[in-house]
Amino acid sequence: MAAESAEPIIAADGLVKHFGPVRVLEGVSLALAERDVLCVIGPSGSGKTTLLRCCALLEAPTAGTIRMRGEVIAEPAPGPETERARRRVRADIGMVFQHFHLWPHMTVLENIIEAPRLVKGASREEAVAAAEALLAKVGLSDKRDVYPQRLSGGQQQRVAIARALAMNPKVMLFDEVTSALDPELRREVLLVMRQLAAEGMTMLVVTHEMNFARQVGSRVAFMDGGVIVEEGPPRDFFQRPRTERAQRFLAQFED
Amino acid sequence: MFTYQFRWDVVPNNLHFIFSGMQMTLILSATTLAIAMVLGLVIAVLSMARPWPLRAFGVGFGELIRNTPVLVQLLWVYYVLPIFFEFRIDAVTAVIIGLSIYSSSFIAEAYRAGIQAVPQGHREAAQVLGLNQAQTFRRIVLPQAIRVTLPPLAANFVQLIKYSSLGAVLSVGEVTRKGMELSSSTFRPLEIFTFIAVLYFFICWPLSMSIRAWETRLARR
Ligand SMILES: Nc1ncnc2c1ncn2[C@@H]1O[C@H](COP(=O)(O)OP(=O)(O)OP(=O)(O)O)[C@@H](O)[C@H]1O
Ligand SMILES: [Mg+2]
Repeated sequence: MAAESAEPIIAADGLVKHFGPVRVLEGVSLALAERDVLCVIGPSGSGKTTLLRCCALLEAPTAGTIRMRGEVIAEPAPGPETERARRRVRADIGMVFQHFHLWPHMTVLENIIEAPRLVKGASREEAVAAAEALLAKVGLSDKRDVYPQRLSGGQQQRVAIARALAMNPKVMLFDEVTSALDPELRREVLLVMRQLAAEGMTMLVVTHEMNFARQVGSRVAFMDGGVIVEEGPPRDFFQRPRTERAQRFLAQFED
Repeated sequence: MFTYQFRWDVVPNNLHFIFSGMQMTLILSATTLAIAMVLGLVIAVLSMARPWPLRAFGVGFGELIRNTPVLVQLLWVYYVLPIFFEFRIDAVTAVIIGLSIYSSSFIAEAYRAGIQAVPQGHREAAQVLGLNQAQTFRRIVLPQAIRVTLPPLAANFVQLIKYSSLGAVLSVGEVTRKGMELSSSTFRPLEIFTFIAVLYFFICWPLSMSIRAWETRLARR
């Protein structure tokens, strides 16, 4: 695929984020072409979550921009044009959180149809049909009328993925979506993500699952101290990390 | 030593009179609760507003009311407010206004706690899915906040039933005032005030117990 010719689906350009005196991102640039799966790894506190939150438009950048298909959707002092673009593409960016954040007062089905109904104005029948298809896809058809509290963590996270997919996003952001889960529940979530990648979803995945990054990632970015230290195809990165920091980080995962 | 001769018959003989007072008590409390629920929401929203003058007003008003005695507030509304606004208000209106203001400052806290109890992540999930602020508040925050807020609201109703007895000071004919009037005409304060205390208890106690059961049930969810 000729990535150079097409505008990336989503791109960060010189992204800086400070919280008062705390300097979290110090100039991060990345670009995801269609079908890209970029896995971001790195030590705790390196700014991975903050990067994702900026891309999800939950944090405003201190400097730099976020673009979607070339159009600026986030910048430090957004003008009216950026605001309009932001509102227009907001729902094209799906995000899945470490702690699911399902709404506890709604059933699984209600969680999934809420945004399509309110934001896209879908009819109830349409939204329910789409939700049922998504539930089948994540293997939870029998849980449609259950409240989230009654589900295991792995099931809740799969519902959260279905909820994000219900808006037909152009790109999906995943923030350590298996970290809060017991090891035996991680597989079912990772399986759904693998399937999504295979179907050609564009994905930005922050993860500690090295096997996933190795097998599913089209590229891997290693973050440390608020910058991307190293980026490349997983094969190269995992076999011959160029920087010493990446080598030291990867050494932790060898047993 | 204790040679007091009980004369409980003053109670059944004046039951109608006492119950009319109880009716007034409940009407006062319910009216006040209704007003305080609206006023409390206004104060809660102000105290969480982004512009600082609104926030300062909301927070300051709440602090002022919660840290002054309710009786002083009632007297202030009844005697001082008419001087400012140059119109007389009757005692019932004064009690309703005074207690509403008092109660709203506590109810505002309950609302605020309820709203803040909704995890930020729930809001962010809605935001990422494209819901705007109003939709997020109405569909995600409010339904969750209300659950947490209902028991404190009910507890406030119990408070109001008790505090409405302060209306007696302004000669409002609620049940405590009726008791005062009866005891001075019959010279039977012991029987009358005992009966009235028991009456309050058997209204407030079941309410309090149900609220506690309700809270336990909510906590288990
Ligand atoms: N709202 C905030 N205010 C102040 N500091 C913040 C804020 N959000 C994040 N930080 C700080 O920024 C740094 C990076 O945080 P971030 O959550 O992006 O790291 P991370 O790479 O996701 O770490 P982890 O692997 O532990 O999830 C941390 O030191 C954190 O304390
Ligand atoms: Mg993180």
